[in-house]
Amino acid sequence: MVNYGGDEVSALVLDIGSSSLRAGYAGDDTPKAIVPTAFGYLEEPASSGGDVAMGEAGAPEGEQPAPPKPKVKLHIGQNGPSLWRNGMHVGNPMADGLVQNFDSIPPLINHAFTDVMRCNASEHPVLVTEAPWNTPANRERMAEIMFEEFQVPAFYIANTGVLNAFAAGKGSALVIDIGQSTASVTPVVDGFVLRKGLSHCALPQLVHAHAKHMLANPTPTRPAIQLLSHQLIASKLPVDAAMPPRFQLRDDRIPGTTDTWRAWAEAHEVDEWIQSVAGVLPQGWNEQAANQQGSRHYEFPTGANYYFSGAERYSVGEQYFTHSPQLIASNPNLPKTIPALIVNAISSCDPDLRGVLMGNVVLTGGGSFFAGFADRLHTELTRQFQIVKVHAPGNPTERRYGGWLGGSILASLGTFHQLWISKEEWQEHGKAIVGQRCK
Amino acid sequence: MAASAADVRSILSIPTPSASTSTPQQKKPQAAERAKKPDGIPRELYALIGPSAPAIATQFAKPRLKQKPNLGSGGRVKWEWRPFKNAARSDGLRLSHWAKGSTEPDADYPWAKYNIQTAEYVYSQDEYSRLLEDQEWTKEETDYLFKLVREYDGRFYVVHDRYDYPHADPRFSPRTLEDIKDRYFSVCRKLVRNRPWAGDEASKNALLSSLSFDKSREITRKQYVKDLETRTPEQIIEEDALYLELEKLKENERRFRKDRDELLRTLLGIESGLPDLPIDDEGLQGPSVEPKKKKKGVASSVEPQTPITPSASNVISLAQPQPPKKTAKSAAYDILHCITRTDASQATKAPHQPVHLRSTKIPAVKPPGATQRVAQVLNEIGISHNRLVMPTAENIARMEPVLSSANSVVDMKKSLDKVEQDLRIAKARLAALRGETAEEGSGDAPQTPMEVEEGADAESVAGDRAQSVVSTKSTRSRRQI
Repeated sequence: MVNYGGDEVSALVLDIGSSSLRAGYAGDDTPKAIVPTAFGYLEEPASSGGDVAMGEAGAPEGEQPAPPKPKVKLHIGQNGPSLWRNGMHVGNPMADGLVQNFDSIPPLINHAFTDVMRCNASEHPVLVTEAPWNTPANRERMAEIMFEEFQVPAFYIANTGVLNAFAAGKGSALVIDIGQSTASVTPVVDGFVLRKGLSHCALPQLVHAHAKHMLANPTPTRPAIQLLSHQLIASKLPVDAAMPPRFQLRDDRIPGTTDTWRAWAEAHEVDEWIQSVAGVLPQGWNEQAANQQGSRHYEFPTGANYYFSGAERYSVGEQYFTHSPQLIASNPNLPKTIPALIVNAISSCDPDLRGVLMGNVVLTGGGSFFAGFADRLHTELTRQFQIVKVHAPGNPTERRYGGWLGGSILASLGTFHQLWISKEEWQEHGKAIVGQRCK
Repeated sequence: MAASAADVRSILSIPTPSASTSTPQQKKPQAAERAKKPDGIPRELYALIGPSAPAIATQFAKPRLKQKPNLGSGGRVKWEWRPFKNAARSDGLRLSHWAKGSTEPDADYPWAKYNIQTAEYVYSQDEYSRLLEDQEWTKEETDYLFKLVREYDGRFYVVHDRYDYPHADPRFSPRTLEDIKDRYFSVCRKLVRNRPWAGDEASKNALLSSLSFDKSREITRKQYVKDLETRTPEQIIEEDALYLELEKLKENERRFRKDRDELLRTLLGIESGLPDLPIDDEGLQGPSVEPKKKKKGVASSVEPQTPITPSASNVISLAQPQPPKKTAKSAAYDILHCITRTDASQATKAPHQPVHLRSTKIPAVKPPGATQRVAQVLNEIGISHNRLVMPTAENIARMEPVLSSANSVVDMKKSLDKVEQDLRIAKARLAALRGETAEEGSGDAPQTPMEVEEGADAESVAGDRAQSVVSTKSTRSRRQI
C-alpha cells in the first residue's frame, strides 16, 4: 500500500471541458459520468429575452444582473440538446476553456453526481480541474459553489496542465492540449505551470469554421451542402453520390427550432464530418501527396453523399499547422498555429528547461485524435528541435480525459490529503484560502 | 441387478410399486447390508459383489482429495471505513479511508512524515541593515523574494515565473532568474557567515559551498546554451559533417596502426616486447583535431614508466617496434620489481619464445643415462634436483654449475673406477702369470668375474662408488638401495 503511495478517501474528481463534463471517483481509471456540457433549456414565456446570456462561445455576458431568474427548464445529459424540443435553446457555460456562466454549472454538476453517479457530494472531498489560464475570481466562485451548494467536506482545484502531466507520469512536461474549443501549450515544471510560457488560442474553432465554410459553400464539383441534422428530417430516399438529395423536412418542427439549437446541430454535423473524413498530412502540406491519399465517401443526414477529395480532406487539418497567406491577410486576429504556440511557450522558458520540456511533450485532449495529428506534430517538432519525445497515449480514455485521470491519480495519493481545503478552513479564511493553497 | 433397480427407485425417491408385504422384508436386509458397506468400495461394486467383499477391500482407505492450501493464518481480515487524523494538516479535517480492523485507530497517518519543510532563512531588521543592504534590492522586495522561495520550496524556475513584485524599481525589473538566485544565495551566505555556528567548521563550509552561486558564470553558461540552440541547420549539418570526418580519420589511423602491428609481428616476432608497446588510450582522450600528434605524445610518455601494466580497455599497438633501450631508469625499475629480461634471440634460435615457467627451463643432465647418478650425488649434498623451491633466475644460474660439476664428478669417478678395474685385472693376470701369490689373490678373485659378468650393473656399482667419494655414509646408503 505504501509502495505506490495511494490512500483512497473516496474523493470525487470533476473535470469540466467545453464538450463534456467528466466526473468519477479518484483512483478509477475512467470517469464514471461523462455528460455533454452543452445543455438545452426552455424559457417560460414570461421571461423570454432574459436568457440571451447563454449564447455561443465568446459572447461576453458575465455581468447580467439577474440572468434567468424566471423559470428555465434545463435539459442536461445524453437526452439534453440532442432531443428536439419545441423552442429549446442550447447553451454552453464554457467559452475559451473557462466557465463563463456559472448559473448552469450547479445543475450540470448535480446531474453528474446525483443522477449519473448516484452519490452525495456532501460525503466526498471533491477535486475540480481548471484551465491553466483560469482567473482567481473563477476558481473562488467554483470553490463557493462546491462548499455552499454541495456542502463538500473538502475541496481542491487543480490545473489541467499539471494533471495531464501527472496522468502521463511526469512532473515536468510540455503539455499540448487540443480541446474542442481551445488549443493550449503549457510548460509544467516540478508540478507547477510556468505561466509566462503558457499560451492558448481558439485554433480548433478555426479548423471547425474552415470545415463548415468548405461544406456550406458550393465548389466547382458540388453544390453547397445543407447541414441539417436527422432530427429535422422526416424521410429520405437513397441517391447516388454527388446527386441532389431527396428528403422530406419535418415541417412541423421547423418553426419551433431555435437558432441556438440549429447552430448546435450544425456544429455537430460538421464535427461528425471532420472526425470521419478530415485529416492532416504527416509530412507537411503537399497537394499532390494529399490527392494521392484518395477520396473518401461521406453521407449526410439528408441523404446527400459525396466523395471528398484528398485535397479537401487534408486542407482542413492543415489549419492546425499552417495558415495560408490570403487567410492571414484577410484576418489579422488569426489564432496561432500549433508550432507557433510551442515556439512561443518554449522561447519564454529558461534555456536550461527547454531540453527537459522538449523531451517530455505530452499530447492530450480529444481534439488531438484528429487523424494524423500526432505524426504531423512529431514531424514539425523534430524539424525545429533536436531532441523531441512526444508522449501521446493511444488509449482513447487516457488521451481524451487526461486531465480527469491526473486528478484521479492526485486525489488518491496519501500525501495529497494535506492539501485539501477543508470546510473549516473555507469558513475561517474565506476565498483567500483558494489562492494560497492551490498554487 | 435387481438391487440396482431398487437403488434407482430409492435415489429418485419413487415409492416402491404397490407390492406385497414381502417387499419391505426384502428391502430391509438390503438396507442393513448397505449400512454395513465398508468404506472405499463404490456403491455399484458393492451391489454387484454383495457382502462377500474381499477382505482387502475393507482396508481401502477413504479416498481423499488433495488438501487445500491453508493461506494465511487467521481467516478473514476485517477492514473498516474509519476516519483518520492527518498530522500534516493544521485543521481538524477528518477524511475517512479503509483501514485494517487490527490496526490502531489513533495511529499516526503514514504519509504525514513526507510533509517536510525546507530550511528557512529569516533575518531581522537589524541584521538586514547591518549585513544585507544592497543597491539593487529594497528590504521589501527581498522579503517578497524570500516569501516566494518559501512558498515554492526553492523551485527557482517557478519562483522566477511567479515573480511579480508590485512596487518594482523599473531599473531592475524584470528580474532575471540569475538576479533572483544571486540575491537569495548571497543573503543566505551572509547570514550563515555572520551568525554563531553551532557545528564544526567543515559543516559550515559545506553549507556555504552549497549556497554558492556565481552569477556571471551562470549568465555566460546560459548564453552558451542559447547559442547552441540558435544554431542554424547549416551550422548543425556542418558540425555533423566535421564530426564524421574526424571519426573517419581516427578509423584510418587505427587501421593503419593495426596493419603495421601485423607486419611487425610477422617480421620481428613478438619478442619486440608486446607488453612494452605503447598503449593506445584513445578511449580516454577526447575528440582531438590532430589525433596523430596527440597519440605520439601519449605514446612517448606512457612507454617507459609502465611497461607491463596495460591500462584497461586499451588497444596495444606497435608504434615503438624496436626493443626498448635499457635506460638507467628502466634497469633500476627492473631490479626493484625483480624483473628479468631474457634476451630471447640469444637463448633460443626460435623466432618466438612462448610464455613459460622458469622452472621448466632448469638445465637437464647431459647424458640421459647419468641422470639417476647425478640425482643421487645431489641428494647426498641435500639438494632436490627435480623440484627447485624457488626457481628464480639467480637460483637457476647457480644450479647450472652445481649440476655440471656433479656431472663431472660422476664422470671422473667412472673413469677412476675403470682405471682401477683395469689395474686390478692387470695385477691379477700378473699374479696368475707369476703363480706366486695364489693365496693373496684368492680374496679378490671371486669379485673379478662377477664384475665382468654383470656389465650392466657395473655402472650402478660405479655410481655407488661415486657416492662414496662424496659421502662417508656411502656403505649404508648402498645397502639400502
